Amino acid sequence: MPPLWGQLPKGVTADAKGFVGANACRTCHPDVNRDFFRNAHYQGQVASCEGCHGPGQAHIEGRGDKTKIFAFSQKTARQTLDRCLTCHSKSMARSNIRRSEHTQADVVCASCHSIHKPATPKFLLAKKQIDLCGSCHAPVRAQFSMPFKHRVNEGVMQCSDCHNPHGTDAPTWRMGQRPRLVAQAQGNEEACLKCHVEKRGPFVFEHAGVRIDGCETCHSPHGSMNARLLKRPVTFTLCLECHNGAGNFGRQGDGIAVQSPSHNMADPRYQNCTTCHVKIHGSNGDRLFRR
Amino acid sequence: MRRILLVILGSTLVWGQPTVAPTNEAVGPPRGLNYEGYNILQNFETGFRFFDVDGNLGKYRSDVNYRRGMRLLSSGLTINSREGKGRLFDEILLNTQGLGNDPYQSAILRVQKNKLYRYDLIWRTNDYFNPALTISNGQHLLNTRRQWQDQTLTLLPGGNFQFFVGYGRNSQSGAGLSTVQLFDSRGNDFAYFSDLRRQQNEFRVGGEVKVTALKFLWQRGWEWFKDDPREFLTGPSAGNDPNNSTRLNSFNRAEPWRGQNPSWRANLFTEGKRWWALNGRFSYVEGRRNFILDESAIGTARFGALQNRQYLLFGTGRRPVLAANVTGSIFPTERLSISQHLAFHNTKMEGDASYREFNNSTLQLSNFNFNFLGVRAFTSTTDVNYRVTKRLGLFGGYQFTERTIRSVEQLSDEFFKDQVAAEQTNRLHTGLAGIRFQPIKPLQINLDGELGRADRPIYGLSERNFHSLGARVQWKHKSLMISAQARNRYNFNSASLWSHSSKGRNYGANATWTPVERFSLDAGYAKIHLDTLTGLAYFANGASVTNDRSRYVSNIHAVHFLGRLMVAKKVDVSAGYSRNQDLGDGRNTVTGSSLTGIPGFLQAQTFPLSFTSPQARISWHFHPKVRANFGYQYYTYQERFFTQQNYRANTGFVSLLWAF
Repeated sequence: MPPLWGQLPKGVTADAKGFVGANACRTCHPDVNRDFFRNAHYQGQVASCEGCHGPGQAHIEGRGDKTKIFAFSQKTARQTLDRCLTCHSKSMARSNIRRSEHTQADVVCASCHSIHKPATPKFLLAKKQIDLCGSCHAPVRAQFSMPFKHRVNEGVMQCSDCHNPHGTDAPTWRMGQRPRLVAQAQGNEEACLKCHVEKRGPFVFEHAGVRIDGCETCHSPHGSMNARLLKRPVTFTLCLECHNGAGNFGRQGDGIAVQSPSHNMADPRYQNCTTCHVKIHGSNGDRLFRR
Repeated sequence: MRRILLVILGSTLVWGQPTVAPTNEAVGPPRGLNYEGYNILQNFETGFRFFDVDGNLGKYRSDVNYRRGMRLLSSGLTINSREGKGRLFDEILLNTQGLGNDPYQSAILRVQKNKLYRYDLIWRTNDYFNPALTISNGQHLLNTRRQWQDQTLTLLPGGNFQFFVGYGRNSQSGAGLSTVQLFDSRGNDFAYFSDLRRQQNEFRVGGEVKVTALKFLWQRGWEWFKDDPREFLTGPSAGNDPNNSTRLNSFNRAEPWRGQNPSWRANLFTEGKRWWALNGRFSYVEGRRNFILDESAIGTARFGALQNRQYLLFGTGRRPVLAANVTGSIFPTERLSISQHLAFHNTKMEGDASYREFNNSTLQLSNFNFNFLGVRAFTSTTDVNYRVTKRLGLFGGYQFTERTIRSVEQLSDEFFKDQVAAEQTNRLHTGLAGIRFQPIKPLQINLDGELGRADRPIYGLSERNFHSLGARVQWKHKSLMISAQARNRYNFNSASLWSHSSKGRNYGANATWTPVERFSLDAGYAKIHLDTLTGLAYFANGASVTNDRSRYVSNIHAVHFLGRLMVAKKVDVSAGYSRNQDLGDGRNTVTGSSLTGIPGFLQAQTFPLSFTSPQARISWHFHPKVRANFGYQYYTYQERFFTQQNYRANTGFVSLLWAF
């Protein structure tokens, strides 16, 4: 308890709007102040506390009344968002934050960021990224412990390599409705192509499934029990489930071609489709992706 | 002091399912050392890794890949100016992991002077080994190293006029195997060696300008990517099929390509006094890729004739992508937000290519056109978010997408000019609704549902008639957080002869508890269920099969646990356990549920296996600035049907974590 409870500390005066300066805050919140010089919000600005929390005079005179100051713990998600976006709205990475799925679920800035007690040296996250995301997305976190996975647990990748938790524009693959938090690559392409550039093309013969509906048609991007993050343990069921000639699917709208009669699916040799159709993501030399 | 220590320990020790090394405990003065206006925090962990594998070493390298040797397991250095007024810099941050030959290495560096400049570097490398026996019998093995780096220099960060330049590099190089089928569509397939040399370089320059309420960002980017693979087989090969008389004596392929993606991006953002916001984005990428393929193969064809075949192929592909988005939001009241998002993108894949084939009996020459593929889509999304009371909120949305796909495809083989043009339009309507409920402050309940209808999906597996139901409950009070989630997704895509149905059900629960600074606990469980059924058509033993079905059932139970306890203020002990088990459809042998008579199809219906990894670590804080650590982690991979890929591995490390 400060020595002059309910009064401005000695030597501190309030201006006309009630701002008292960080020295007054330090009196009651020494633990916050002590290491705040490491914080990205500090940057040598004396009035940094009130920049986010608003004028402190009424709060002090109210003997620490949280209703007399902008206390984030007492505010609604929308109020928190509005306050942070006062400064943080101009980045293109946050331009869709108002409509993001996180905002809809009331997961806003303070849900993931801890301004005073960050666990990470960058971005002021409340926990390490995988723990933070995994606390809500448990099945996704489990996928990173599967035999085949992107190496998030091993520390070489992070969720934000592919996702923008602040919201994204409509994807330029699939039908634009999903996934809503996947950051597009530089060329407005699926995030996978940021790293897997050899699959980018353009190819003389595109595998339209890859290009139109995206990599997730065949792959589980977080992790899989199956090799190469495939959705099936073998390739031939994956291929045949589309290549069955049914309906009006496919580029021509008359069904996706059934395999050639030269194939004998009873022979194990033909059950490894990509042994021959090796350039399955797209080919420059063969419409059947054989070279 | 206790509180700071608690924060450091609590924040660093609650990992999802980490690897046992590096050690996460803190060492040295928690508040750092002060030196001439700067505060310095640093630590280094140096140690020795060991491992031992019983079983399939290749699979171990694919899944885990930690090897033996000395490592700088981790390091951290932070220098901050105490007053925010350093002469040349206000912050230097350097964190590394795994340096010295770990398969997963990374480093981040940040140097900044407040309001003047900020430099960020991320560097990562990943040794990737993957034989993938279930894919082409392991003949598509990859043993490569991937490296990424990204650097950004920002001038006047946080100011009204901010500029940045950036450079990114991504490379993958190493050895691999691949396969080729020769000399015709009934020929044999042969494995060959691959020398992979892929590289991408990216430069960007841009700026952000803020004038009154108007914020404008622009970025000009250049991306160059290339591949110089060399693929060859120098010795004779009988091929994979001993019954096929095709033989290969030598094979060489060079397939270099060069691509570039010059791009423009612009973003405009403005908002009124808390009741509206408008955001516009425009992006144009002019993609191009020049390629050449030179392939020669010498051998014997199926009927005994000598073959000397050469492909020479070259051309240019172009893929311009235009994307534009506008998002308008209005906030009529404090409780209500309405956002409207309009998105348009147009992608065209076009180009030219030439093709020449030569063999010893015929000289054939053909030119063919690039197969054109165009995708144009317009999306409109409306989202409404309404807070009824402080503890109750509702949200909903509607989305419409119209996608046009244009295609010009050469349908038969390369020697005929029989191009077919097609165009189709797909439309999708989706609606979603949800509720947020907070009956008491620590408890948050979210429920949501989505319903979608597509008139003409592009594939049988695409979403057509689908719905999704989700729920999430979270209890968060002081140091305890318990959350549970459930999500069901159903998709039914019927066609004239077959239908595809997919049922996905995910359930998960997670708990994190740090009641005191010397104890923390993190545990979780997830069930990931997938059940799909799709019609199949194929040929078997010369007959057309049109009434078979592909059923795939995956039933994954995943559990993880990690606890930590500090004993007598000197010793930290942590123990963890992780197990992912796919029970499949419950059968113990390959035979079982029979929708099909072909053995290979039965095996593909389900793939039960387990992947388990317990771990333990002990860390002795025997000096204020030094810790001694020992960790052990065991891995076991067990498939139920086959045993070729199974392994057990003992891994661990001893290390010193020190600060000075």
